[in-house]
Amino acid sequence: MKEIEELRLKIDDRLASINNLDSWSGVKAELLGRKGLFANLIDRIKLLSKEEKRIYGQSINTLKAYAENRLTEIKAQLEQKQKEIADKASWIDITLPGKVPLVGKIHPITKVISEITEIFVSLGFSVVEGPEIELDYYNFEALNIPSDHPARDLQDTFYIKEGVVLRTHTSPVEIRVMESQLPPVRIISPGAVYRCDNDISHTPMFHQVEGLMVDKGIRFSDLKGILTIFIHEMFGEDTALRFRPSYFPFTEPSAEVDICCVICGGKGCRVCKETGWLEILGSGMTHPQVFRNVGYDPEEVTGFAFGLGVERIAMLKYGIDDIRQFYYNDLRFISQF
Amino acid sequence: MKVPLEWLKDFVVIDIEPYELAEKLTMRGLEIESIEKISPQFKGVIVGCIKQIERITELDNLSLCIIDTGNRDVSVLCGAKNIKKGDKVPIALPGAELPGMPAIEEKTIKGYKSVGMLCSERELGLSDDHSGIFILPNEFTTGKELKEEPVLNDIVFDINVTPNRGDCLSIFGIAREVASILNQKAKIPIFELPKNRKGKIGDFISLKVFDLEACPRYVLRMIENVDIVPSPYWMKRRIQRCGMRPINSIVDVTNYVMLELGQPLHAFDYERLKQRRIEVKLAEKPITFRTLDGIDRTLEKGDILICDGEGPVALAGIMGGENSEITDTTRVIALESAYFNPLFIRRTARRLGLKSEASLRFEKGIDLENVDFSAQRAIALMHEIAGGIVIDGSIEIKDAKKREGIFVSFGKINEVLGTSIDHSTILNALRSIDLHIVREEEKGFVVSVPWFRHDINEYMDIVEEVARIYGYDNIPVTTPRSPLVQFKKNKKNKIVSKVKEFLVSSGFFEVINFAFLSEKDIENFFISKDDERFSYVQILNPISKEYGIMRTFMAPNVIRNIAYNINRGIKNARFFEIGKVFYSIKNEKLPREDIHLFLALTGRERDYYWKEQYKNFDFFDIKGIIEGIGERFGINFVFQKTKEPFLEKKYSADVFSEGLKFGWIGEIKKDVLDIYEIEQKVYCGEINIMPFIERAILDFKYRSIPRYPQVVRDFSFFVDENIPASTIADKIKKISPLIISVGIFDMFRKEKRSISFRVVFQSYEETLRDETVNEIQERIIKELTKIDGISLRV
Repeated sequence: MKEIEELRLKIDDRLASINNLDSWSGVKAELLGRKGLFANLIDRIKLLSKEEKRIYGQSINTLKAYAENRLTEIKAQLEQKQKEIADKASWIDITLPGKVPLVGKIHPITKVISEITEIFVSLGFSVVEGPEIELDYYNFEALNIPSDHPARDLQDTFYIKEGVVLRTHTSPVEIRVMESQLPPVRIISPGAVYRCDNDISHTPMFHQVEGLMVDKGIRFSDLKGILTIFIHEMFGEDTALRFRPSYFPFTEPSAEVDICCVICGGKGCRVCKETGWLEILGSGMTHPQVFRNVGYDPEEVTGFAFGLGVERIAMLKYGIDDIRQFYYNDLRFISQF
Repeated sequence: MKVPLEWLKDFVVIDIEPYELAEKLTMRGLEIESIEKISPQFKGVIVGCIKQIERITELDNLSLCIIDTGNRDVSVLCGAKNIKKGDKVPIALPGAELPGMPAIEEKTIKGYKSVGMLCSERELGLSDDHSGIFILPNEFTTGKELKEEPVLNDIVFDINVTPNRGDCLSIFGIAREVASILNQKAKIPIFELPKNRKGKIGDFISLKVFDLEACPRYVLRMIENVDIVPSPYWMKRRIQRCGMRPINSIVDVTNYVMLELGQPLHAFDYERLKQRRIEVKLAEKPITFRTLDGIDRTLEKGDILICDGEGPVALAGIMGGENSEITDTTRVIALESAYFNPLFIRRTARRLGLKSEASLRFEKGIDLENVDFSAQRAIALMHEIAGGIVIDGSIEIKDAKKREGIFVSFGKINEVLGTSIDHSTILNALRSIDLHIVREEEKGFVVSVPWFRHDINEYMDIVEEVARIYGYDNIPVTTPRSPLVQFKKNKKNKIVSKVKEFLVSSGFFEVINFAFLSEKDIENFFISKDDERFSYVQILNPISKEYGIMRTFMAPNVIRNIAYNINRGIKNARFFEIGKVFYSIKNEKLPREDIHLFLALTGRERDYYWKEQYKNFDFFDIKGIIEGIGERFGINFVFQKTKEPFLEKKYSADVFSEGLKFGWIGEIKKDVLDIYEIEQKVYCGEINIMPFIERAILDFKYRSIPRYPQVVRDFSFFVDENIPASTIADKIKKISPLIISVGIFDMFRKEKRSISFRVVFQSYEETLRDETVNEIQERIIKELTKIDGISLRV
């Protein structure tokens, strides 16, 4: 039986030499193959006596079973190991940056105009536009601002030629609309306007949204109602506001609308000039003369108009302190909105 | 309008806090822009009384004064000449602090002790006057700290008076509103002309007004033997706090009365008036006239002139002439108080670019009824502070003017405001601002409007007054009762916002530029003079040359945006702008306004990404965007060789659809980029979106998804360079209606150019059989290889 013991040692030695699946196949063939160790032994058994055959054969069989088991075990181990190596190779660092889709941004002026427009559209106003180079008649005369009117000083006008100007507000659109249709009118008119001014709080071109509502029985209290809804939608339900008498040649009574300063909450600061209030829009009941100019009867219909500066609202909303920022078109500015 | 409260208190009793008053005035439509607190800048200055003055000969020019400072007498050396025994004077005792001066110390000069210093107004920081010691009003209490005197402490409201409220450009006008707020009546200033008057004014001067429309009222009054001296402190103080500069006793009085009552006045040096006469007339032809600021002005036909016997002595309502101005030697004053037609004054002032405190008031309309009252007030004040003898009487010319009463119905007021204010509240509100209720009826009332309110002419003006006084805050908040109006959809806006959406999701950032260009910008793009882009609209009064014309195309501004960003280290950018361009049209008053879309790409999509490398943008990036927009709105764009002079011909194209040119795309020429100092390539596109809007399809019909499978076949051909790939694709497409798409999936150039097409076959009626597709495939190969320059790549 010493021979069997030596055989086992030899088998263990061979099994120990296995270090990958290739050498595993080699060793398997060496031991269990057709010309392998056990095939050889079985050939030799055939030459032994019956009794010897029984004892020797049994030992060989046990040994073979042992070899087979060990080989299966080792293979499983090798496969496991290979899988681990493969796993390691396909590892990724999940902290590397993902690929963010590159989308652009809308200019903040467009953004604010859309916001304002949406609110008024939801209140039944239609959006109308008009020419930016306008007849003096539409920009001034029809709006009750004759050529020698002191109110012309309020707006520094760019002139194109006799009777033609760059519109100083979008109100001329209201005249064009009233000339072309009968009441009821319920419109807003967003767009670029121009005034001869250029400093930290004025640009020669800026944007306005103006609105007009005309019908039988429109009241000053309705103006307060519609604009209160607008302010609450735009600046939040809790925003305090006030209507203050003012003067515009095309409205009467006229009202300036102030909101509680969004910077200091009404305590008084540099932005609100220590008053606690910010001027946000101008408004008023349409002046009877404006109605006469477009052929409406001021005894029959009343209406109100309002106008607001888009840049000013954007500046307050986003805390921008220099109006010229809107027109440098610096990508670092636009990409914030 | 600056309003010192100390002055305002002459006319009303202010029994509320200044801040509360400010709030109430603001809510009346007189917006308080700022509240300035005035308090003396000095410390340790006492009201002293001069007990004795002794001239010290060995200290030439100095006097030794014994001053009673309340609890003790001190001696002070003083160089001023205007002091006398019994005068109250400010004395800065040792330790006192005066603005901008070292602390006051006790000094001894040649054995004479000087305990402190007597002060001028300038030394106290109260005015620029350094002509002598500040002689204090007698009612000041000896021994009291001077800075505690109430008149030295004041609050000044800066009120933003709207252009319609000329009546509020005076202290009294503001007092009228304040009185209405506080339920009082403003007190008219009380004064008397001196009893001792001389002669008859008619013996001294004559007056003629040639045009009553230009000058419906003119009053002359006179005073002689006046002293041209500095005004007393109280007058200077008030003029100064209103933001004007004190000059001398006579000029100060005219300004003082203007500030007080709103009536601009002009004082002539009577002895310089030729032929002792005043004539008010309109200039008949252009003349040159030197105003008292020393500038020669060209006056034109229609300007109102005040003339003496020889020529103009004042530009009416705007500025006096140098030839009749008050000087130090003036002895006799002819005082003008007039009402000039606002339109005339405004026209002249605007044309000359000359604004004065007087013109500011005349052009808004002053109080027609107050003209002579103001003249009397001024003459009385001149007598008070400049001495002299008043010449008796006045010469006055006036046009009889009447104002019609306005009928207003109570119902209309409440209807327009949405209120239910009772009748007596309405009437009382109007009375409180001095409107006169002529007649009261059941349904309404007739109100007569005084001449100081030029802004009230019809019922709506009365509605406004009622609303203002009743308080906007008290008007309810309602929503309109009018029925819904059908909302009008705006196709242009819809398309523009969808195009913007498309571009933003494609990585483009929106820019907005001023719609201005300079002529140079057009030249920079090599645009020829006959191109439409040279038919620009010019601005007559531009901010600067760079903003001299309205843009006819968008490129220069966005190219400048790119340069701006590159200079700030942003080298990769995708921009778009949608805005108006303007072309002047012959014989049309208004230009044509189009809307353009502009696109610009520079650099590459991303600077880096750790996994891959990015190529720089090229022609196909800009082309793809235009194609994408076209596809989105059902418009098929065709690209042809460009004719634009500012593009690199090889990498650019003009964009057409249905034979109409929409615009261009491509690489901007290096020569153009050099001008804007851009060193990297820039690809742009400019499309007129007006025809685009007309043709754009917003509502697509759904086509059901085919139930049968599609078949895909690939073809590769060698194609000569002169055959455009797009024509081959078009050819293939036309071969069979079963071909639903032809794509190009590969292209390379070796000895020959090879293009590979992927063709998709689809039937909506049946499953395509191999034989059918094979047959078409044969036809494709046959048709294409027939063409010279195309061969099948096997």
